[in-house]
Amino acid sequence: MDLLVVKDLKKNFGSRQAVDGLSFSVSQGEVFGLLGPNGAGKSTTLSIIYGLLKPREGTVTINGWDISKERIKTKKMIGVVPQEPAIYPQLSAKANLKFWGKINGLSGKKLDRAVKRVLELVGLEDRANEKAGKYSGGMKRRLNIASGLIHNPKLLIMDEPTVGVDPQSRNHILETVKQLKDQGTTIIYTSHYVEEVEYLCDRVAIMDHGNLISQGPISELLNEAGEHQEILITLNSATEAVDKPVSSLPGVAKVFTVGNQIKILTGNAEQLLPLAFEAIVNQGLRVSQISINKPNLEGLFLKITGRALRD
Amino acid sequence: MKQSLAIVSVGIRQMFADPMFIVFTLALPVMMTWAMSFLPKEAGVYEMASLGVLVMFVALNLITSAGAIIEEKEKGTWQRLVASPISYGQIMAGYFMKLFLLAWIQTLILLLSGKFLFGAPWNQGYLQMAVILTVYIFAMTGLGLFLAGLLKTQGQVQAVAMAVVMIGTMLGDVFFPIENASGIIKLITKISPQSWAAHALKDILTTGVSLDSLITPLVWMTGLGCVLLVAGVFKLKYDG
Repeated sequence: MDLLVVKDLKKNFGSRQAVDGLSFSVSQGEVFGLLGPNGAGKSTTLSIIYGLLKPREGTVTINGWDISKERIKTKKMIGVVPQEPAIYPQLSAKANLKFWGKINGLSGKKLDRAVKRVLELVGLEDRANEKAGKYSGGMKRRLNIASGLIHNPKLLIMDEPTVGVDPQSRNHILETVKQLKDQGTTIIYTSHYVEEVEYLCDRVAIMDHGNLISQGPISELLNEAGEHQEILITLNSATEAVDKPVSSLPGVAKVFTVGNQIKILTGNAEQLLPLAFEAIVNQGLRVSQISINKPNLEGLFLKITGRALRD
Repeated sequence: MKQSLAIVSVGIRQMFADPMFIVFTLALPVMMTWAMSFLPKEAGVYEMASLGVLVMFVALNLITSAGAIIEEKEKGTWQRLVASPISYGQIMAGYFMKLFLLAWIQTLILLLSGKFLFGAPWNQGYLQMAVILTVYIFAMTGLGLFLAGLLKTQGQVQAVAMAVVMIGTMLGDVFFPIENASGIIKLITKISPQSWAAHALKDILTTGVSLDSLITPLVWMTGLGCVLLVAGVFKLKYDG
């Protein structure tokens, strides 16, 4: 059964169309990824779903209820983990969670149990009584997640929860999300980190300029990405001088340059790599790093739009 | 109601956890009230000066505290509140009660310290004082929420707060008489809630007026507060 249904959603800010006729649905228990570059409309879409913004057109229903008509009912089902940690730094983690629990209608022993549960889930029980302002960035983000989970929501909306976080905290966050998935929580997860989305999500929708450009199960999307591998070459300095020499090499499907990185889509990376390296070095450029990536969603985005997912 | 009270509780805890809040809202005005106690006690001089300190700092506190909503928008806690199963009315009720309560805590500390620590000769009109101060705090809370809806940054709020409060008190016949003023100064004394409140309080404490004779300041401050409060609440809602 579809827990969330978004239909023909439109939203503009002045003359800028932030969301332009977006439609998708999320089934109960599913982890649904929303992938796209900065400015694609992901955060605007989420803000409409959890009631912060009103759409110009379109509907959003949660469990069959229209969010514009059943505001309180639908909001009880949603937990929000915004991009920036929405916590009170002067209060301890426990005090923060107690507050958000009360705002979500919890009280008494039920609230105490919920606070204990989410502190254990995010691994902050040992530092629960310290002021949140003294936490590291990763810990603040974990508290941010706990605050969104305190009332055991049916639908959890996570907006780029690992941005700017150290690798250890990032792994902890990803494992927490996996745990929630195993517990049957429905999650909408946005990111522009492809590897996170591929790791966590059952289905993914790729957005650009306020529209869906592709959606489906991960395996189907990777098939759509084709058999192209991606050669990623990092140079010492930014350049556009290599586009022509590299794109004329045999076996090259597409070449894309972003700053000092060259991305080459090809069906046979092992055969093309030495030729590409030679072509680059012949331009007088110096290579600092080379990697070969198997077909991924970033490659699919690149294939469809001709642009990189990350600026 | 429970959710609104949770907003009040967290708001007050945050404020009192901030040392700068304690200094500017309590310590500094108490010190100034003490300094005013060296003024001559006759002819209402002390009353006007110490009450001027009270109305000035209560206004400053209310406007800058209301600006905390802007900080909450920047931090994301406002957005999380709006996304929660709590009505907008409950959110605004919580913020209003928080500001109102903070202002009354500040007012009581200043009044009690003035009377019991610094020997202020206030022996009458406690009911009238309570009514005037309640209505004054209501008007200033409305102004604070209006500015929180209108302005974009905490810096702007602090700058506007200083301007509004200084103009309203310094030029509003609060600290020193401006009997023969005309033009803009006269207009400021007529509209400034600080001026109305300070004069009403002085009359209560020095000549012992009844509530009936305070209708004009009460109506003016209530009306102003209502208009600003409604405008502020609507502006905050439609800005998301």
